[in-house]
Amino acid sequence: MFIVGPSGAGKTTLMKLLYREESPSLGKVVVDRVNVAELDDHQVPYLRRNIGVVFQDYKLLPKRTVYENVAFALRVTGALRSTIRRKVMQSLELVGLLRRANAFPDELSGGEKQRACIARAIVNNPPILLADEPTGNLDPTTSWDIVQLLDKINKRNTTVLVATHNKSIVDDMKRRVVALENGRVIRDQLLGGYDV
Amino acid sequence: MFSNLEFFVVEALRSFRRSTLMNLVAIGTIAVTLVIFGIFVLLMMNMGNMVGTVSSRLDIAAYVEKDISLQSAGAIQVQIAKMAGVEKVEFISRTEAWRKFKADYGTRLDLDAVVQENPLPHTFAVQVRTPELLPSIARRLSEIPEVAEVRYSGNLIDQMRSLLDAVRIGGAALVMLISFATLLIVVNTVRLTVLARETDIAIMKLVGATNTFVKWPFIIEGVLIGVLGGFIAFLVLKFAYDAVLLRISKALPFLPILSDPKMLALLYTVMVLGGTALGMVGAYISVSKVLKAEV
Repeated sequence: MFIVGPSGAGKTTLMKLLYREESPSLGKVVVDRVNVAELDDHQVPYLRRNIGVVFQDYKLLPKRTVYENVAFALRVTGALRSTIRRKVMQSLELVGLLRRANAFPDELSGGEKQRACIARAIVNNPPILLADEPTGNLDPTTSWDIVQLLDKINKRNTTVLVATHNKSIVDDMKRRVVALENGRVIRDQLLGGYDV
Repeated sequence: MFSNLEFFVVEALRSFRRSTLMNLVAIGTIAVTLVIFGIFVLLMMNMGNMVGTVSSRLDIAAYVEKDISLQSAGAIQVQIAKMAGVEKVEFISRTEAWRKFKADYGTRLDLDAVVQENPLPHTFAVQVRTPELLPSIARRLSEIPEVAEVRYSGNLIDQMRSLLDAVRIGGAALVMLISFATLLIVVNTVRLTVLARETDIAIMKLVGATNTFVKWPFIIEGVLIGVLGGFIAFLVLKFAYDAVLLRISKALPFLPILSDPKMLALLYTVMVLGGTALGMVGAYISVSKVLKAEV
């Protein structure tokens, strides 16, 4: 599913509301039958473990290797070392970054960084994956690879929500499209395109 | 939790290495505070000990003019022994006193070379039953015509007691102030290392780290700083005090300086634990502050 709209329409805010980076001043935000808006602060970490988030600027820890970055999302859950190792390897294999596991973020290309970010987001097997402008900093070919990867994850029964400006991707994928403008939904269309 | 412990320790060490200079400043501050604290405690313990030693003495010394016969000395001794409250009275002739003095201190000083003639008077060493009797008996002794001077430790005790109280109150206030200042400095120091990792913390929280999980490495780092600071303070104070002890026991052997190893071990333990607590509380406060600003 794609969320489209001009800058400032509220795409990023919508994502942030879902993983409680921001709280609504009014109304409800329901994720998996839970009203996220009413969640106590100390419950927020557990919500976030069930939502994978992919960022435009990757948000990787700069002084850690790809492996450590991905492992971190599991470490915070208190998982066993052997479990961590197995899941991180699976995740890195899925995104095709296994041979770069010991590289630091600085040594990676933009596409590789985004793959690392995606690997971290899915390592917990979350039912929902949010991607805020995942291709915003990437060239068209790499962007397409990333979208293919997200599609692959979607086919493994993960809900994937992508906020984007990228017209060609939205038009090519032919998925459900929600268009926002000034913070309001102006269109919700199955198998839609970027424009009406 | 246990699988995390190793991770927390590794994280703490990693962060500790990354900001060596700031950590050294914090360690130094804690060490200095604790050394000052230790010096005060030692001073107070020693003064208390001295007052205790002095006030447990029930002796009065009555000095007699030099030229009295042994006979009249015997008469005075009987007179003193009859006084109420006197436990024991002993006559020490000037010759005997001189010999004893030379035996005590003559090894370090060739007294005969300095003093030609025995400068000491005859002395009656009077022992009273209770310390309260000291002033009244001292007064009655001074009324004996042959007695030139009476000495006992009463005034000294009072003076030392009031001095001890002053040191105690002033010292406690000072130690509290310094501890507070140290806490502030440690809080600030750790906050700098926390602020330097603000992005890291934000990312950790985005992938679902709880506040506790983020806090632990910093708290361990604080404990590390505190333990090191406390340990340095302990080493400095121990060597300094041992050196002072050695000097004083040579130069002023009659001074009752405290050297009970059990008391000193207790003080040193308190210092190391105090440093640990300072580091831990400082880290906890600063990391909590940053986390509160975060979510």
